[in-house]
Amino acid sequence: MEKVGIVGYCQIKPSMDLQMDRYEAAFKAVRGALDSANLKRKDLTSVVSSTNDFYDGRTISNCFTVDPSGSYLKDETKVEMDGAYAVLYGMMRVLSGNHKLVAVWGGSMASCFPYESTTLLSTDPTFERPTELVNVMTAGAFQMRAYMQKFDVKAEDIAKVAVKNRKNAAKNDFALPESQNAKITVKDVLAAETLSSPVTELMYARPCDGAACILLAPEQQALKIREDPVWITGVGHSQEQYYLGERDLSKSLSMENAAKMAFKMAKIKDPQKDIDVAEIFEHFAHEEPIFSEAIGLCEPGKGTSLSTEINGEIPINPSGGATSGNVLCATGLVRLIEAAKQLRGEAKNHQVAGAKRAIASGQFGFSAQNSILYILEGGKK
Amino acid sequence: MVKKLIDVAEGIVRADFEYWVGKYMDKFYERLEKQQFIAIKCPSCNKVYFPPRKVCGECFKTIPLENCWVDLATTGTLVNFTATNYSVMERRKKKNEKTTIIGLIKIDGSDTAIIYPVLDVQEKDVKLGMKLDVVWNKKIAGSPGDIKGFKPVGGT
Repeated sequence: MEKVGIVGYCQIKPSMDLQMDRYEAAFKAVRGALDSANLKRKDLTSVVSSTNDFYDGRTISNCFTVDPSGSYLKDETKVEMDGAYAVLYGMMRVLSGNHKLVAVWGGSMASCFPYESTTLLSTDPTFERPTELVNVMTAGAFQMRAYMQKFDVKAEDIAKVAVKNRKNAAKNDFALPESQNAKITVKDVLAAETLSSPVTELMYARPCDGAACILLAPEQQALKIREDPVWITGVGHSQEQYYLGERDLSKSLSMENAAKMAFKMAKIKDPQKDIDVAEIFEHFAHEEPIFSEAIGLCEPGKGTSLSTEINGEIPINPSGGATSGNVLCATGLVRLIEAAKQLRGEAKNHQVAGAKRAIASGQFGFSAQNSILYILEGGKK
Repeated sequence: MVKKLIDVAEGIVRADFEYWVGKYMDKFYERLEKQQFIAIKCPSCNKVYFPPRKVCGECFKTIPLENCWVDLATTGTLVNFTATNYSVMERRKKKNEKTTIIGLIKIDGSDTAIIYPVLDVQEKDVKLGMKLDVVWNKKIAGSPGDIKGFKPVGGT
């Protein structure tokens, strides 16, 4: 595969109530990414957005963001999933040979709508929706219990993941202020309000407002733009069955497949040895160990015993992960940006020393029905 | 400066969908009206789907409408559960007094679990693997709501 370069990016600091509208957020993300690479709107050939009609409260929500996102009179499309999938669309455009610069942006305003309730609308409309029992929260709770039951994992072990991510978030300038807590303890996480047992408030990556943008270019063009692009050297994606009652929620088959595909593309044989840092989209704390196991960073059931601190054996979510700001439609995109920052040595207080190869993941659907994983390298002169 | 909020629920368009559930689920609902469970077995892999469906995704084949039906008892096993005071359809700030226990229940003889309330039991007494039996709603209409939930066999 020809290499696709990440040549610029921009994150809007997430907020529980962002004091800007969605057009301004989209504009600032795309404009900021272009500025970061000294590029202009005229340099863009294509714009891929990640938004969701239900989250925006209208259909074909991207038609309203054409102007502020720089896609006016350009090739333009939308992915109605996590932003990490929009990056895949962007890559396809680059690899088609037709595009020299693609902006991929995503974002939403969770403060404007009841997210958890909205997810009922993505259930089976005839059998599941009428009983009003399945949404993102109950699905996440089933997933946590299935994982704990299968591997005899304790709620304390899951709480430790939340503690690590909230402490890491405290070091991240771009983290949601409400997620930052340098002094949080396992006891705090377990004592927090139960949202849907066994999930507590502090184990949940609460959706918030924000936006982010990444710029992609083909290899030669990327090297013209800057001498140190971050390279996407592998990508894999996969999807599981829909019905929760049919899936083994104690593991992520979709991530297992995604990781195999991505590692093969990037010629990585031993992820435990070859990966220096991981940015994983965990909607809930328990998803981080489930994904770590699926990716092959450890044996099944051992995800909560991994040394994942910023200075640990395999640092996972040094930024705080999705917990540090779950901007729906942008969360996976931000994982890619955070991984790129690690490779470029720009992560400041949450920098992993000497990171040369990073992975970044996205997900979509109940209990992560879909998974996507990227391998990133480069970023240094 | 005043922050102006517009409630777009005011400008809502009512657009009811009338989904046809298909021949397989028609049969399922006919049986539900008689307070019986019926499932379908894929002739290729023998997986028993409850509720029934036309296509076995794993085999990527159509399950014939004839000769594949399996009558099931109304009992099953609890394979997973969660308890919550938030109703799925309401904004988070509206918290209920009552805790709802929601279970993934595998009906005896089927391979796919369904999601329904677990009734007549406190959360502390819920055990994975416990045997449950159906509780029918007073009003039977041939719809998913005919099943009110499941309660422990023999009580707790």
